[in-house]
Amino acid sequence: MTTIWNATFISELLLSMIRMATPILIVAIAELYSEKAGLVNIGLDGIMAFGSLVGFLVSYITGNPYLGLFAGAFGGIAINMVYAVCTIQLGAEQIVYGMAINIFAPAIASFIYKIYFGISSSLISAQLMKPLPIPVLSHIPYVGDVLFNHTPIVYLAYLLVPLTYVFFNKTRAGLNYTAVGEYPKAAESLGINVIRTKYIASIICGFLAGLGGAYLTTCYISTYSDGVVSGRGFIALSAVIFGRWAPGGVLLAALLFGFTDALQLRLQVLNSGMPYQLLAMIPYLCTLFVLAFFGIKKAGPKANGKPYFKEER
Amino acid sequence: MKRRVAALFLAIAMVAGMLAGCGSSQTSATAASQAEGTTQAATQAETQAPDKTYKVAMILDSSIADGGWGAACYNAMVAAAAETGFETQYTDGLATADFASSIRSYCDLGFDLIFAPGNQYSDAVKEVAADYPDVDFALLNGVVETENITSLLPDAEQIGYMAGALAGLMSKTNSIGFIGGLELDTTKMKLAKYEEAAKAVNPDITVYSAYAGSFSDTAKGMEIAESMISLNDVDVMFGDASAVDSGAREVLANYEDKYDIGQPGDLLATQESTVIIGSVVTDNARMLKICMEEVMSGEFGNKTIYGNLENGSLSVGTFSDAVPEDIKAQYLEIVEQIKEGTFIQ
Repeated sequence: MTTIWNATFISELLLSMIRMATPILIVAIAELYSEKAGLVNIGLDGIMAFGSLVGFLVSYITGNPYLGLFAGAFGGIAINMVYAVCTIQLGAEQIVYGMAINIFAPAIASFIYKIYFGISSSLISAQLMKPLPIPVLSHIPYVGDVLFNHTPIVYLAYLLVPLTYVFFNKTRAGLNYTAVGEYPKAAESLGINVIRTKYIASIICGFLAGLGGAYLTTCYISTYSDGVVSGRGFIALSAVIFGRWAPGGVLLAALLFGFTDALQLRLQVLNSGMPYQLLAMIPYLCTLFVLAFFGIKKAGPKANGKPYFKEER
Repeated sequence: MKRRVAALFLAIAMVAGMLAGCGSSQTSATAASQAEGTTQAATQAETQAPDKTYKVAMILDSSIADGGWGAACYNAMVAAAAETGFETQYTDGLATADFASSIRSYCDLGFDLIFAPGNQYSDAVKEVAADYPDVDFALLNGVVETENITSLLPDAEQIGYMAGALAGLMSKTNSIGFIGGLELDTTKMKLAKYEEAAKAVNPDITVYSAYAGSFSDTAKGMEIAESMISLNDVDVMFGDASAVDSGAREVLANYEDKYDIGQPGDLLATQESTVIIGSVVTDNARMLKICMEEVMSGEFGNKTIYGNLENGSLSVGTFSDAVPEDIKAQYLEIVEQIKEGTFIQ
């Protein structure tokens, strides 16, 4: 056992952590943008499913995974507009419409797949995006491979964290944006267009969630099958709460999920006799412990989940 | 008020869209099967009363295009239906909570036979079968026998032996891997026998196993394969986890001399792969055909139809070029021993 815990093991483990955390991170940041504007969107899983299909289809047809990735992101926006119109314009219950997206979007994805490829049982695979090692940095022993030998979208995901932090905390636009999620009435009285901000939030959320879904089928695995998202949207949703609505916290939460999941798979392989259910619980147990240990000191945006009616008192 | 009306309208539009989506996917499925079915219907008319068209439906938690388990079971149903003149229908991508309600809706639609291709559907099938005594249920990998449930049981012991022997013969690093979907009885049996058989042909073998906890999480299959290769230098893998296995194969393809054994269809016969060296083939179509014939003759229920090497329901699939002739010969000899029951006592 002691020989196992060597440098290769650690670097493989961290590499696996980055791979598994990336889609969760992108989608959790999507949710962060949505919730900061007061929109709880639990339809992430559905948006991801749709994004993963559109990404796969476009990358299959054009042979270009970058195009696929972008198409997946725009597919995500399209699906999220259904949610946006219903919750922003019509003031409908956000949880209900989020759930509706979760049922509706994967079904429509599977429907489109069947229309395009017919009722066929053969597995179709598309071109995967090639990793783009960053020169010089990727040659640093151990660390280089883990951090600097990925597809461009991975770098983008991690770059989003500081960018989001700066946007929300250091820019006027970001503070206005946050105000919409905290107290929309006051924001409106200061001349901020609440409705427009909420729409922008939905567009960003749809774009990133679709991107996260498309990442699965253009950078991770080269095939699409129903259920490929496997609840990653819900994990992203909990990562936002876990990360206390702060970009850095969300990054830590996503990495913790990635790390514990990668670790539990390796522990399973090492201890083949042990009941796998125990090990598969590790990511969720960790979440429980961390939440219980730190307590919920800071809650989310105050007007989170509440519909906004302009003329209402 | 205007806003409410608009909300209602949108909600209705969405529901209608969903229904239209489901509706047309069903029609396209039936259209396809009808197209195939026209010739059968003609031949069937000569032998049977033409007034009754029998219908079979299959439910699935993964996808019929998963390149493994789901695909093989779907093809088996279509093949068996083509011979017996059944109309086919399916729903895939189901969550565990929806198994029972999906079966129930097929029963209400007047289907004669429900095909549940896996041990994980046992509870749902038992629950619904009790309420619909007129509908027959075929449960693959099942151990249930009632008035209207027949279990189809491919011999998991022989499948495990067959895969294990091939993996043991082919491994050069003396490490082989196994991926399970869920810890089902049949999966546990396959794993145990896989290990026994591999050790029987090569005493130095170590078997590493992991469960994905899912049949559809392809990415998890990749991570499992990646960790087995990096940690233990595993070079031959076998899996019982549908789309998860496809993920493992994707990783294996990135390395040289790393192989995978397929099941339950003859994978190399339907797809090109540098990774798959052979398949343990379960002829589900043959067993399903027996079921369908019994549905038509009214003798259905209270039995288990076994699938093993002796009655031809299990067989060796196409080998790839990566398997040397001498290993192939040695392996076929072992399969013969498994068939006679003399391989491991």
